[in-house]
Amino acid sequence: MNSLDPRVNRLPEINEPVSPKAPLDQFGTFEVFVQPKEGKPFQHEGIVHAPNLELAYVLAKEAFTRRFTCTSLYVVDTRDVFISPMTEGDKNTYDYIQEPPEKADIGSSFEIYHLAKRGKQHVHAGTVQAGTPQQAMAQARQQFKTDKVIYNVWAIETDKIRFTTAEEKELWLTLPEKKFRDASDYKGGDKLKEFLEKMIK
Amino acid sequence: MYGGGNTFEGIKTDSLAQEDPAKLAEFEARIERGEKIEPSDWMPQLYRRQLIRMIEQHAHSEIIGALPEGTWITRAPGFKRKMALMAKVQDEVGHAQLLYSAAETLGKSREQMIEDLITGKSKYSNVFNYPTFTWADCCFISWLVDAGAIVNQLANAKGSYGPYCRALDRICAEESFHLKYGHHCVIYLASGSAKQRQMFQEALNRWWAPMMHFFGPSDKISAHTEVLMRWKVKMGTNDEMRNQFLDMYVPKIWELGFTIPDPNLKKNPETGKWEYTEPDWEEFKRVINGGGPCNKERLEVRRIAEARGKWVREALKSNKTAYVTPLA
Amino acid sequence: MTFALKELLYKMADDQLILGHRNSEWTGMGPLLEEDIAFSSMAQDKVGQSLALYTLLHKLGESDPDTMAFTRNANQFHNCILVELPNQEYDFSLIRHFLFDTAEALRFEALTHSSYEPLAQLAQKIRGELRYHTLHANTWIKQLGTATPESISRLQHSLELALPYALGIFEPSPYEAELMAAGIFEGEQALQDKWLVRIESICRQTSLVLPDLKVVTPVLGGRTGKHSEHLQPLLDEMSEVFRIDPGAEW
Repeated sequence: MNSLDPRVNRLPEINEPVSPKAPLDQFGTFEVFVQPKEGKPFQHEGIVHAPNLELAYVLAKEAFTRRFTCTSLYVVDTRDVFISPMTEGDKNTYDYIQEPPEKADIGSSFEIYHLAKRGKQHVHAGTVQAGTPQQAMAQARQQFKTDKVIYNVWAIETDKIRFTTAEEKELWLTLPEKKFRDASDYKGGDKLKEFLEKMIK
Repeated sequence: MYGGGNTFEGIKTDSLAQEDPAKLAEFEARIERGEKIEPSDWMPQLYRRQLIRMIEQHAHSEIIGALPEGTWITRAPGFKRKMALMAKVQDEVGHAQLLYSAAETLGKSREQMIEDLITGKSKYSNVFNYPTFTWADCCFISWLVDAGAIVNQLANAKGSYGPYCRALDRICAEESFHLKYGHHCVIYLASGSAKQRQMFQEALNRWWAPMMHFFGPSDKISAHTEVLMRWKVKMGTNDEMRNQFLDMYVPKIWELGFTIPDPNLKKNPETGKWEYTEPDWEEFKRVINGGGPCNKERLEVRRIAEARGKWVREALKSNKTAYVTPLA
Repeated sequence: MTFALKELLYKMADDQLILGHRNSEWTGMGPLLEEDIAFSSMAQDKVGQSLALYTLLHKLGESDPDTMAFTRNANQFHNCILVELPNQEYDFSLIRHFLFDTAEALRFEALTHSSYEPLAQLAQKIRGELRYHTLHANTWIKQLGTATPESISRLQHSLELALPYALGIFEPSPYEAELMAAGIFEGEQALQDKWLVRIESICRQTSLVLPDLKVVTPVLGGRTGKHSEHLQPLLDEMSEVFRIDPGAEW
């Protein structure tokens, strides 16, 4: 290719067809949760596509935490997120959660997420002990339901999550210093003023 | 970054006839109240189709938009510019990632969207079909094309679809760096040597027409989109967006002593609206349909990137995970 | 002593700048969107680290960082040849990233104990960035090094291609003894020994076969300004705009 872009000129010729893309080209989906500050709850930020949990973690780190503050990150396979019905207006999703018939047992722990306003993000509400996701939802209703309307609840089995380890906390050590990614590092005001004064003369 | 000028499909008045009237009324009332629509909610087929189309075009514009500026990554002058441009172009790729995810919640997979991009089935913003001859062209994009994109994105962030709004909130926050960085670059060119000033003036001359095209055809000739406005899919007309951009940025360009290549450009003090030479909409159509100076190269680069990455993606295939639609 | 220290700082700064520059060429053209973003971040980290090192040099009386990075010719650069080689396909870029960043992480780890305080502080500060770089590299190598016959043979081929150049990372400096005696740096041989252990341990978890280093001839010369034909064109491209008017502010 003859391009103005030197990088493009270095690209190899590719003659094999790329379409149609193989159906398996699409990887699995992983939900990404970020803690913006120490002491603040984790919140849902989006998804990455990856072939497994570990690579999802590695890829989510730069996709979601290279800008703004972050102290911790975790990812989970979307299929491991159990969701309640989505409600609206003054209808609380907790009112639609049925008590599962089987007796509650406390086999594992689940992370509970709340959607407090449609259009916003799901935010971590707390952790419950339960045997099944259904029981976790019922537990969450007991522990976290207040007068405030919640439109959607997610329950995620804690063991299914790839957390940030204690040593990995240092991954974000220099994040606050990366000013070159921040609007505040590009103050042109003085230069502009000096230029305008010169123009007037 | 992204312009309006989306190509919405022609809407037939009867396309809502087969929808359940009770559900439709409930849906419209929810939007009217200012509540967001979430992926698991009922929605008319037309709403779903048009949103996929719009968000997908937006995502494609980001990934293709990484190319004209990416041209200058290896040549940016000095550490400050080098690091900023790397981060800025990276953000564009990141925006594509966020937007594809938002579109996926409506039921179309990312790989299907990328397939439709490289086969030429879906469109992206026309503005990226023009070349960046010099560093100053790159600065023009960073400042003014991004500025135009922000006008659109801020409007769209008030739209009705939750996942798109969330993606746009994040994108707009990131774009504030792009805008400041771009303006900073242009201030330095303006206040620099005669040669630097001339570089930017020439870039401005080249980019003004594509910039005016960026917001899409004039309301006089563009397709009727009342229903999309009512559903808060489209948040302003093309002319409104263009006028807002001119209002915010023409004074800033003039302030730096540059000449905008349109002798008829002026703000009408009575209407408060900008007047300008009617952009050449035939040229706009010609470029959209593949006739621009870089259409071929842009798609070819994406195609090569796909082909070179194929072995990586094949090696990563795994039956331990499966594609599912993102939750939010 | 200043000569010895400057030599160390120059080669580290030049390595990071040139590899950061090379890796940035992938931006917008990577094999998957998320990886495109990750690889670009690491390229930014590298250029940022080079800037920090040039700044230390500037404080020792050398020119300002922009002048050093954008106006020297190839024979004035001290980077190893590995980092200047063209990107080729993703297998080569990844293998280089794995081989180089493992060494880089170990080098900075050792430097956290350096008697030259500013360097020790820098090494301490960027340890999180380096942790991510090696986490990324190891995860990818383990993944692709055990996946398909094609991915394994591509990585194996690139590994064999890169290894002689990777040994060039550890080309001894004329000041080794001096740096060690002053407690500034533990020396290239010690670094190479630790590096080999790490590289071997990752390769053992894959289908990749690490060639016997005794039969690999290192490609040296980079540290003394003797480069491949690839460096000067890279520098010409990097400084294309800067050189339009080196006195101008951009």
